[in-house]
Amino acid sequence: MVTDPSMAAVPLGLDLTTERIAALEAQLVEAQRLIRDLEERDALKTQFLSNISHDLRTPLTAIITHAEILRDGILGHVTSKQSESISTIITGGRQLLDMIAEILMHARDSSEPLTLVESEFSIHEVVEQVTSLNESLVARKGLTLERYLSTELPAVRGDRDKVIHVLTNLLGNAFEFTPSGGRVWVNAGMSTDEADLVLIEVGDTGRGIAPDHHELIFREFAQVDSSASRVHHGTGLGLTIARRFVELHGGRIWVESELGAGSRFFFTLPANRGSE
Amino acid sequence: MSARVLLVEDSPMISGALQLLLESGGFDVVLATSSADAVEIGSRQRFDVMLLDITLPDADGLTVLHELSQRGMKPLTTYAMTGHSDQETRDRCIAAGCEDVLLKPVPVQQLLRIVSEAVA
Repeated sequence: MVTDPSMAAVPLGLDLTTERIAALEAQLVEAQRLIRDLEERDALKTQFLSNISHDLRTPLTAIITHAEILRDGILGHVTSKQSESISTIITGGRQLLDMIAEILMHARDSSEPLTLVESEFSIHEVVEQVTSLNESLVARKGLTLERYLSTELPAVRGDRDKVIHVLTNLLGNAFEFTPSGGRVWVNAGMSTDEADLVLIEVGDTGRGIAPDHHELIFREFAQVDSSASRVHHGTGLGLTIARRFVELHGGRIWVESELGAGSRFFFTLPANRGSE
Repeated sequence: MSARVLLVEDSPMISGALQLLLESGGFDVVLATSSADAVEIGSRQRFDVMLLDITLPDADGLTVLHELSQRGMKPLTTYAMTGHSDQETRDRCIAAGCEDVLLKPVPVQQLLRIVSEAVA
């Protein structure tokens, strides 16, 4: 071992350098092998997630269909208590399906990056569609859902399904984290900060998110409370996917919130100025 | 006369549930579990409605519709069934001649209504 720097000047140093280079090269080869190994394992895991998600759907579809057949009395009369119990199976099953869909979408995106299927559409219609689908949930939870849509909004060019997904996800979170009696709103208008961008806000009077967690919540699998005993469950992928979808459109998504002060999620989409 | 339904679905668990539902609704149901199976059955008998799972083990389910059309045995109405109804899938199904795309699990009342309306 050469510790004295002056030793480097002796002819022997040449051999040492060669040895060092050889050792470094060996390390490099080993590092490359490890990277390849990890990449392969990552791909395998993604494939596994995709397969298992797909395979989970089939029995779940059968369970939900059978439960609906029973609930609707197609095979004979059911009492109201039985119907209530069966309805819980259906609700739980549909929640599981949504979670599986999220995992599947994330797995697909990792192996084969998502692309946009673009069309021109109205944000008004999308907001109308998503909010009307949630009306019964809003009523059941004792919340108020408000819409503030600018009449000046131009059409948006983008992937309608993906925008619906983002809005559904943000509203779903707002409903989940806002206690009974609270307010949830959707606000859409032109961005005043950036030109030619439509700005959509989903806000709530719920529990809010500490500023420390504003970035974390968009990370894959991350949840503010990740303990097994946590009250709110999910895949931890909802906002990751939402961010991915918004960014695919060239937009931005962020949150403004403080603990106990509600949350306001914002995202932007390019306006289709050409259509005016 | 009760409507004749060709159910094309490879998963026995799902086809079992749908068969139970449709038969309870008073429809005649014939099950096919693969594309080849569906083309064979559909070429021999006429059906009012085809419920077509588009992900089948032997081929893309939409080829069934194409094959039956070529044989002049296209069912009166065909509904595609799929687990992921994105715009691309919908466009492909409609272009192939499907009436609509149903997202699995199809709510049972919706399925009964669709099949009833198809034969009304």
